Amino acid sequence: MLIPFIWMVSTSLMSEVEVYQFPPRLFPKEIKWSNYTGALTMLPFGRFFLNTFLVTTIAVLGQLITCSMAAYAFARLRFKGRDGLFALFMSTMMVPSIVTLIPAYLIVATFGWMNSYWALFTPILTSVWGIFLLRQFFLTIPTSYEEAARLEGASEWTVYWKVILPLSRPALATLAVFAFMNTWKDFLWPLLVTSKNDMRTLEVGIAMFSSLQGTNWPFQMAAAVVVLLPILILFMATQRYFIEGISLSGIKS
Amino acid sequence: MRYTVRSGLVIVTFLWALGPAQIIAQERSSPSTGSNPIVSTERPPKITLRVATWASAEEFELEQRMAERFMQLYPEITVEHESIPSSYREKILAAYAAGTVPDVFLLDSPIIPALMNRGLLVNLSPYEPQTGIDPDDYYEAVRAVFLNNGELLAFPKDFTPLLIYYNRALFRKANLPYPSEDWTWDDFLSAAKALTLDEDGDGKPDQFGSAFDNKLYLWQPWIWTNGGDLFAPDGTTTKGVLTSEKTLEAFQFLVDLRVKHGVTPPMVGVGNSRGGAIQGTVGMFYGGRLAMMPSGRWAYVRMRPYLQSGDLDVGVAPLPSRFKGQKSNVIYAAGWSVSKSSPHREWAVRLAAFLSSEEAQLIRAESPIGIPSLKKVAAIQASNDPFGIEQVFMEEAAFGRQSWGTKIDDFSRIEYILESALDRTLFGNEPLPVVMEKASQEIDQLIATNAAQSKDFAPLSGNSQIMGFLYWGCLLVLIGVGASIVSVRRKHRYELTTGLSFITPSFVVLFVFVLIPLVFSLYLSFHQWDIISSNKPFVGTSNFEALLSDAQFWKAISNTFIYTLHVPIGMVISLGIALLLSKNTRGMAFWRMIFFLPSVSSMVAIAMVWQWMYHPEFGLVNYGLRFFGLPPGTWLTDPKTALISLMIVNIWISIGYQMVIFLAGLKGIPSTYYDAARVDGANWWHQFVHITLPLLRPTTLFILVTSVISSFQVFTLVFIMTEGGPLDATEVVVHNIYRNAYDFLQMGYASAMAWILFLIVGAITWLQFRITRKRVTYS
Repeated sequence: MLIPFIWMVSTSLMSEVEVYQFPPRLFPKEIKWSNYTGALTMLPFGRFFLNTFLVTTIAVLGQLITCSMAAYAFARLRFKGRDGLFALFMSTMMVPSIVTLIPAYLIVATFGWMNSYWALFTPILTSVWGIFLLRQFFLTIPTSYEEAARLEGASEWTVYWKVILPLSRPALATLAVFAFMNTWKDFLWPLLVTSKNDMRTLEVGIAMFSSLQGTNWPFQMAAAVVVLLPILILFMATQRYFIEGISLSGIKS
Repeated sequence: MRYTVRSGLVIVTFLWALGPAQIIAQERSSPSTGSNPIVSTERPPKITLRVATWASAEEFELEQRMAERFMQLYPEITVEHESIPSSYREKILAAYAAGTVPDVFLLDSPIIPALMNRGLLVNLSPYEPQTGIDPDDYYEAVRAVFLNNGELLAFPKDFTPLLIYYNRALFRKANLPYPSEDWTWDDFLSAAKALTLDEDGDGKPDQFGSAFDNKLYLWQPWIWTNGGDLFAPDGTTTKGVLTSEKTLEAFQFLVDLRVKHGVTPPMVGVGNSRGGAIQGTVGMFYGGRLAMMPSGRWAYVRMRPYLQSGDLDVGVAPLPSRFKGQKSNVIYAAGWSVSKSSPHREWAVRLAAFLSSEEAQLIRAESPIGIPSLKKVAAIQASNDPFGIEQVFMEEAAFGRQSWGTKIDDFSRIEYILESALDRTLFGNEPLPVVMEKASQEIDQLIATNAAQSKDFAPLSGNSQIMGFLYWGCLLVLIGVGASIVSVRRKHRYELTTGLSFITPSFVVLFVFVLIPLVFSLYLSFHQWDIISSNKPFVGTSNFEALLSDAQFWKAISNTFIYTLHVPIGMVISLGIALLLSKNTRGMAFWRMIFFLPSVSSMVAIAMVWQWMYHPEFGLVNYGLRFFGLPPGTWLTDPKTALISLMIVNIWISIGYQMVIFLAGLKGIPSTYYDAARVDGANWWHQFVHITLPLLRPTTLFILVTSVISSFQVFTLVFIMTEGGPLDATEVVVHNIYRNAYDFLQMGYASAMAWILFLIVGAITWLQFRITRKRVTYS
């Protein structure tokens, strides 16, 4: 489980000469912290971080709102065409993005969004994966809670906001973690829609340590470890929500 | 009347999303094309020029400095330097499709003929006098790479021939003389044999004489050194050439290195070309396990630190020739091209010329990454090299000739056909004459088909077609929504509008960025499209018909089905781990993190580590097997086991994802159920079967459906670890689609494939929903 991560960390602390020992070595002879300062100052990583952070935050918030709304409709509301729409939504997951990449790029280019934050976050303001995840979760919530709320005259919006969302913290935390992770680590799309360094994201920055002449492994892995840390911190911070579960007993009607 | 307000809101959201786009689209619609062929000596207007390179972080600063120097010369011009470190090809292709091509961009072989034949590049030779460029200053063979019927398509930047890097220490240890300048194949083979050693005495060599990677760009010049060739001189046919005695003899020599003499390592992964897999050829050479490595100047960039630190003692020798004095080599070059679509052509040409000029090349020579195309600068660079390696490379330029890749259109596919053919001999033991005869026919047919196609390429347009799809799509959706609101009975209208308004935000995003592209790809699947030109001839169902007889596609489909079988196995493991880790005790957070780590680790790191673990000789996996007295496996190097090896890796990667979702699902089960069961005296197993599993069903369905979908779309793992090999054993559908779209420039055909995949995955997902729904009602 740990080996790739250990390999990343130890490579990030090696001199370039040590990387290609054969068979590979897991620990550096001498720890080179300078790889970190070297890698992080060679490119404007501060700016990359800011861009990635901004885009990721907007995308995560966007997905939490849009996905939970749609999931609520698919799981809890009854209306004409609901199942057909859900099937349509699901079907968008089944097309390899490699094929929709160029058309999506054309759209963004015609919008004049190249090199802008719009191009980076708008396409990921929702996620069918997230809708599906929340829908499955909402299905498990007993209907008695919302029936009680409805008897008191609550609208669908109130039920969604006051009943369903508070009950769904584990699922929302899961969605947040994965939305964060996917946006944070996205590579090909940010690469395509940005060309200036001051619009680029972390993952594109990491790739810049590779070229046709080979890869500067220590620098690339140093950057990769730094980029990975926020995800791990977020995971540690949110995992108590997965664990905590819903204290159903507390809101007995 | 509440519903009218709601549906009004739906419409407004829609228009909001499309509003700005329309305005911007209008603004951009009229680019003026300057066509003055003579570079003016006037001051330039205030303009911005975009230049694209594949500069890595280390080169970025140098290229940036050059851009700044140019801006000093022409203060009116702003140069935007764009570095595209990887996926360069995809990015340039996408830029062509959208009409956002940089004014100046770096080009190397694989894509030159495609752009050249479509007339998309500015002929630079008329500009040479005005820009102060003297053709004689450049290596003739290098400039020739970019010459086509007297048109110069790029100002040369740098180049490389192929040489043999050899580890001098290993030669000394074996008491062998260093390779001479005019060594022959026999000399090479006997050295390779003498340098292949079994040092630990396990009956298998752990040091190898040389390496053989099945990459056309590596073996092409070997054929020439034997007087053979791939194509007839005019490049129109392979008939009688590819299957000629001399060509086959060269192929046989290379294949025998592995198959007969065993002086090259078994091929592990194919990642060697992607920046150097550590346990691949480069890694073995750096680690002193490989005595000789055929490669280009590019390898020297990362090798220099090893020479400086004294960790390696390396020399370079020319490629051996079949007979003494019969030398030949290849020239791979990169150069600066100007796009015909640039509105500021004359200044773009100036910039390209500047980037290729002596001043710029001298700046680059400060930390050299290639051999300068200017003879003078190359000589300076060589004299600064304490290891004498640059000198040998430079001298070899005299024997270099242009690769077929820069002359023949659709060469990526030809490359693929030839490498696959050689694979069949390497892994399948099919006789060479037979596989090459087949390859020859296939290539000739391809060349004939391409020649028969129309050569009228429409000039680039801003590609407004997709906007048509968008507007019509919008209209249809609005009509559909309006009609269904009207048609629904009054008492259900509120339900409908409420439901729709909850869905609208997601729908707008999906509509614009997924559904429209999806419909567009359906449209493409009935057309032929090369991405770079705006021609999209309608071809009816012929893409789908061609698919029916595309054996490789069906092989990829069946591989993908087999690959997907790992999903249930992985899910059982993940569920087990989730159950173990769901207890809320101290330390669990740490273990959850451990299992989560692989799913967030860099994919490249994962690929590196697993390629090393699977290494047949030095890998951890085989070490473990041997330790327990089990026979070692062949893993990625054998067509029989390669796919299973990838499945194991993916199970391992997916545990994190599946475990987290299972954990969230497990915690969603109210503890009151368990309390009740315990009161009834149910044991752990009964609780699991009668409470956990049934109540976990929505979660399980979710993981199953999403994992199966992503398994059917597996790409990155294959792309990094095996490139579909060996012998197509790991070729999966999306990798096949990628190949056809971006390597072979067959977007229409690739879209047809994607739609077949779409239908298959759709059917399977529907089935999963059906089956679980039944079970739910049953219980």
